[in-house]
Amino acid sequence: MATLQINGQTMDIGEIDPSTPLLWVLRDELGLVGTKYGCGIAQCGACTVHMNGAPVRSCQIPVGNLTDQNITTIEGLAAADGSLTPVQEAWVEIDVPQCGYCQAGQIMSATALLENNQNPSDADIDAAMSGNICRCATYSRIRQAIKNAAAKMNGTAFYDAAQTGERA
Amino acid sequence: MKLTKNDNLSPELPNFFQELTASPKIEIPDVSRRQFFKISTIAGGGLALGLAMGTSPKAKAQAGAAETSSLSPYVQIQPNGRINIFSKNPECGQGIKTGLPLIIAEELDCAWNDVDVVQADIDGSRYGAQFAGGSLSTPMNWMAMRQAGATARAMILAAAAQQLNIPVSELTTSDTKVLHATSGREWGYGDFAELAATMPIPDAASLTLKTQDQFKLLGRRFTGVDNMDIVTGKPLFGADTRMEGLKYATYTKSPQIGGRALSFNEDHIKSMSGIVDAFIIDEFGSPKVFNPGGGDMFSGVAIVADSTWAAIKAKRELEIEWDLSDAEQASWDDLVNRAYALKDQDGEPLMTTTFGPDGPSTVAASKGDAEAVLQNAATVVSGFYEYPYVSHAQLEPETCTALYQNGNCEIWAPAQIPQSGETGSAVLLGIPAEEAADRVVLNQTRIGGGFGRKLANDYVFEVVAIARRMEGTPILLQWTREDDMSGDYFRPGGFHSYTAGLDAVGNLTAWQDHFITSTGNDQSPMTSADLNPNVFPKDVIDNVKLTQTMFHNAIPTGPMRAPASNAFAFSFQSFMHELAIASGKSHVNFLLDTLGEPRLANPENPQSMHTGRAANVISEVARISGLDQESGEPGRAKGLSFYFCHSGYVAQVADVTVSANKEVKVHKVWAVGDFGFIHNLSGAENQMEGGIIDGISQLFNSKITFVNGVIQQQNFHQYPLLRLPQAPELEVAFLEPEEFSPSGGGEPSMPPVLAAVTNAIYNATGERIRKMPLFELGYKLV
Repeated sequence: MATLQINGQTMDIGEIDPSTPLLWVLRDELGLVGTKYGCGIAQCGACTVHMNGAPVRSCQIPVGNLTDQNITTIEGLAAADGSLTPVQEAWVEIDVPQCGYCQAGQIMSATALLENNQNPSDADIDAAMSGNICRCATYSRIRQAIKNAAAKMNGTAFYDAAQTGERA
Repeated sequence: MKLTKNDNLSPELPNFFQELTASPKIEIPDVSRRQFFKISTIAGGGLALGLAMGTSPKAKAQAGAAETSSLSPYVQIQPNGRINIFSKNPECGQGIKTGLPLIIAEELDCAWNDVDVVQADIDGSRYGAQFAGGSLSTPMNWMAMRQAGATARAMILAAAAQQLNIPVSELTTSDTKVLHATSGREWGYGDFAELAATMPIPDAASLTLKTQDQFKLLGRRFTGVDNMDIVTGKPLFGADTRMEGLKYATYTKSPQIGGRALSFNEDHIKSMSGIVDAFIIDEFGSPKVFNPGGGDMFSGVAIVADSTWAAIKAKRELEIEWDLSDAEQASWDDLVNRAYALKDQDGEPLMTTTFGPDGPSTVAASKGDAEAVLQNAATVVSGFYEYPYVSHAQLEPETCTALYQNGNCEIWAPAQIPQSGETGSAVLLGIPAEEAADRVVLNQTRIGGGFGRKLANDYVFEVVAIARRMEGTPILLQWTREDDMSGDYFRPGGFHSYTAGLDAVGNLTAWQDHFITSTGNDQSPMTSADLNPNVFPKDVIDNVKLTQTMFHNAIPTGPMRAPASNAFAFSFQSFMHELAIASGKSHVNFLLDTLGEPRLANPENPQSMHTGRAANVISEVARISGLDQESGEPGRAKGLSFYFCHSGYVAQVADVTVSANKEVKVHKVWAVGDFGFIHNLSGAENQMEGGIIDGISQLFNSKITFVNGVIQQQNFHQYPLLRLPQAPELEVAFLEPEEFSPSGGGEPSMPPVLAAVTNAIYNATGERIRKMPLFELGYKLV
């Protein structure tokens, strides 16, 4: 019986067609529906998860290739007590989502970027985020949220959430 | 501030919205009606449904509502004193699930932190029209939401007065508390909830609504109520519906649009691993025509499987024989060639409908004598413009879940017109209209992007038809991206042949437009393929000639964000810039002179453009962008555009650099909007920011083509969307004239940028762009 390492837990996926992309195993077999289907050809990034800390498109990874890989999904980012990561906090505070469908993938890409580079330049952000489409076009806020999350992680600045209630 | 009536309803509503808002079943409820509240007091215990699905959002809401006190369909008080506010309309990224409850919370006088927002059931008898379209949710509900909040507050105060034995005149409210100034005591709303639910309903006339200076919530920035669930990956969207025994389906239609499935390799498909069933559906209507409530769906092959992957894998091995005798034959290149051949001719006179005391009548849309004025004009300018079909490409492909059993159907849908999803499903299932409300129940999920695509309910009808065949088994239908892109109700392509005249001092005196479009019935244009005869500048000049030619072509079309305006803004406002150049005036001055004195452009139509509001957004965006300053850099310039639609006024300026090899960098876009009062600033800014980038993406890269009725684009590698590195810096400002109540921002935010960028490219290079998308002219967005 096959198992996967997902969000720090060993998960039983039973007898499964080894060609099944990780995306559909997460959604249909494990009920982890936060990871989204957008295109099925690695063009949109909605299905982005981490494999051993690196962002990958889960629609392209057959589950048969996944023995001994550590997978993290959007459901696995927040702490057990529910506290958010700096990236998730920044996303909420500056109201990044519109429809929200792509945002799990955006957050997974941004999280991987900031784990390796806590002072990303605009060019670094461009490179890390260019695989994720946002059809609602929340790109300006995604860029700002990444900068705010970096500032939180570095302790260099704290975003004042109260600002969100006030006029510019 | 005049906040007393919904005076901002859109003048260019598509017909189906007109019907929707006029339907007696879903009229806007009068909150003073006793029946309305009588129904609502039952609502805490839930409506009796024909189906008792344990996983249904309705069932959950009912289970949790046992101890709550309902003050209206919109407000419940929980035993712990927290407030449930019900959001009636579908949320598709426009922010309405935050925006409408905020309005209620303001008049209820409660603290926003004390509020839990709950997605409302679909129930026209309690909520009136429930849909996401036409930028109408805010203007249509502004007064009703305020009255709902004020009604609940009045009932709480009345209950408090009775329970405390204190005259109501001595009690006030603040932050979810009842205050007694004389004694300094205060109580939570929860202390009076049970009694409040039994209080008489106050007359609407007795309610005192707040004035703008009394607003504590409205006008500030508020973040989306689902943000926490979105960033942690909670189930919210259509395809996230899960329940015991769920099976997964795909549905495959003819690549040549309108083909009917005759047979398929059934034995092979059914022999594949994980396949539950596979069958042809070929019985439901003619869906080439956009009809959200018709129950129509294309013929095709359904595959039902144990997992989405098993269904997709089998779909890839389908071999289907199609009857193509009624399938579409049209080719885009053929339409283009025929259109250019008509470049220098007129079409048939464009007719329009006017509504007089004797009812509607059909009259010519032209006015004055454009031909005579053009003959005497000092300057005559002509331009032929082309724009393509485009796909909505919302990131969530169509998906829906349904369970059919015992003759009843429950549906979980990310639908923009869920009420039409219910009525159309009843049509498809053969359920009489009078039984539809009891036997078809549609639960709203969050919509992973709509942009108008999910105004159509074809994917709802498909899963209902599959679920009927699979009676007793819940079915989740998942379209692939390829199904979505080739199976859209597309934004129609079209052509405008303009000629206009200027007098000796450069004033616009005559306007001619020969509009070339498509028809499926040879009587009227396809949906969203019609010319609104009142597009600026028609109402503000005296001599206008409008003609039309329709090519037979029934490739399905439908509304997309700012229907028609999303293409007209490009051609009309690029041509207005051509005229401004010819006039010798600045672009700003040419537009302001054309608009003239501040007034309603058509005094007989209160929904027509107010020229003063238009002039103000144009002047303000010119000021904040420094439009009149030269860049001093080779290939770099700014361009302006203005558009009015959906009751919203938006002017935008783009700052671009064009390289020698036609690489275009859009550095920054400034936008000034007037949507009346802005009640959630973060939401309005989000719509404007998204609309601008949506427009730039379409301008450069979006084009759907068809050859002999077959759509040629299948996925994002053939239909690229703008990505983060190409997104410009944005600066957004709003004018909020106090005398106008709110209109919606989702649609008017998008159209102007199309021409702002092309006008900037002209100013930078001298090349006039009369065709979208720009990649076909060699331009590349970088």
